[in-house]
Amino acid sequence: MRNLLNFLAKYSYWFLFLVLETLSLALLFRFNRYQQGRFFTSSNYVAGKVYDASNEFTSYFNLRSINDGLLDRNMILSKQVINLRRALEDYRLDSVEINSIEKMLPDSTKLIKAHVIRNSLNMVDNYITLDKGKLDGVKKEMGIVNGEGVVGIVYLTSRKYAVAISLLNSKSSVSCKILGTNYFGYLKWEYGNTRYAFLKELPRHASFSLGDSIVTSGYSSVFPEGIMVGTIEDMTNSGDGFSTVLKVKLSTDFGKLGDVRIISRPTLNEKNKLEGSVIGK
Amino acid sequence: MIINYIQRALWFVGLVLLQVLILNHVLIAGYATPFLYVYFILKLDSGISRYSLLMLAFLLGIVIDIFSNTPGLNATAAVFLAFLRPSILRLFTPRDILGDFVPSFRSMGIWPFLKFAIASVLVLTTILIVMEFFSFVNPLSILIRIASCSLLTLFCIVGVESLRRA
Repeated sequence: MRNLLNFLAKYSYWFLFLVLETLSLALLFRFNRYQQGRFFTSSNYVAGKVYDASNEFTSYFNLRSINDGLLDRNMILSKQVINLRRALEDYRLDSVEINSIEKMLPDSTKLIKAHVIRNSLNMVDNYITLDKGKLDGVKKEMGIVNGEGVVGIVYLTSRKYAVAISLLNSKSSVSCKILGTNYFGYLKWEYGNTRYAFLKELPRHASFSLGDSIVTSGYSSVFPEGIMVGTIEDMTNSGDGFSTVLKVKLSTDFGKLGDVRIISRPTLNEKNKLEGSVIGK
Repeated sequence: MIINYIQRALWFVGLVLLQVLILNHVLIAGYATPFLYVYFILKLDSGISRYSLLMLAFLLGIVIDIFSNTPGLNATAAVFLAFLRPSILRLFTPRDILGDFVPSFRSMGIWPFLKFAIASVLVLTTILIVMEFFSFVNPLSILIRIASCSLLTLFCIVGVESLRRA
């Protein structure tokens, strides 16, 4: 006890010191705006740090659900991107490339937009699958074109899809003529090079020169007249000697088919019926 | 005895007026301000009680503060210096001095007094400047200000001390 009192007596000036310092600091922080501001921002900084740390810790608990949400969101967005990109391509094709074809078509025809979702080049009989079907008005024997020229003919349809015979198919036969004349023949493809087909049964006396354009004749019910098919590359005589065979460079590049248009002709059935009745008799 | 008190009171008033009227407005090169009022604390008797020392220093600091519109700033530094002064003085007092004395060139010798003054001024200006800035965002300018203020204050102390001896 004595020692304690001695100790207190010896170091009692510490209390005076602490009292005076506290008083001074209190005055300093009470009456000086700058120090006051710094003091409170400092304490705010400390409090902020504490909250920050606790927040950082608790945020880990939610990560799983946040992750799930992000994944869902991501899938929705990527789906939207695909749709938008497709819409954008449609738009581009519409405004630039199809215009030329659309002008040539009779008013009664309608174009149905479609995308090629399956295509082949290396078979004897090549088929194209499209993403439009009966629900979109696609019917058998409608013609298919793209910005460059003729692509093929619809062969089978389901509710939402259609299979078409490509020009690169041994069963394909399109009635064509040389642009500017009315001499016509049938375009057939032979297994091999996908860039060339042959125009057969052209009369021997037909006059043309290499490089002339070959277009659809309009005689077949499938394509209206005047759609580009290709250009004359070479000519040979057929085996029977009555006709000429032209080697035609196809204007359509079947290696990069994307967007196509299906030509819908409301008068098609009527014409077919009429022709059928004549042949039936 | 009474003359001694009166003399000390006059020094108190004189140093406060000098500080608040002239020296507080000195700002050499944007950094250096002399804090000559510390001279009053340095010159107090070596045998003075710690209570008197603390109270006098607080009084001095608070008066300076009242005039320079910085309540508590100089008081904080002065009280802190007064708290440390006995230890600093003991550290630099030559061993052959007996009894109480007033620190000065004459009583302590030039070099010991100078060391005592340097240590004291450094303590005061460090506390003062650190409390004034109250942040360590730009430590370099704090250091420059502490060093330049200490240097200028020391020059003033040496000058006054030399004049008094003459």
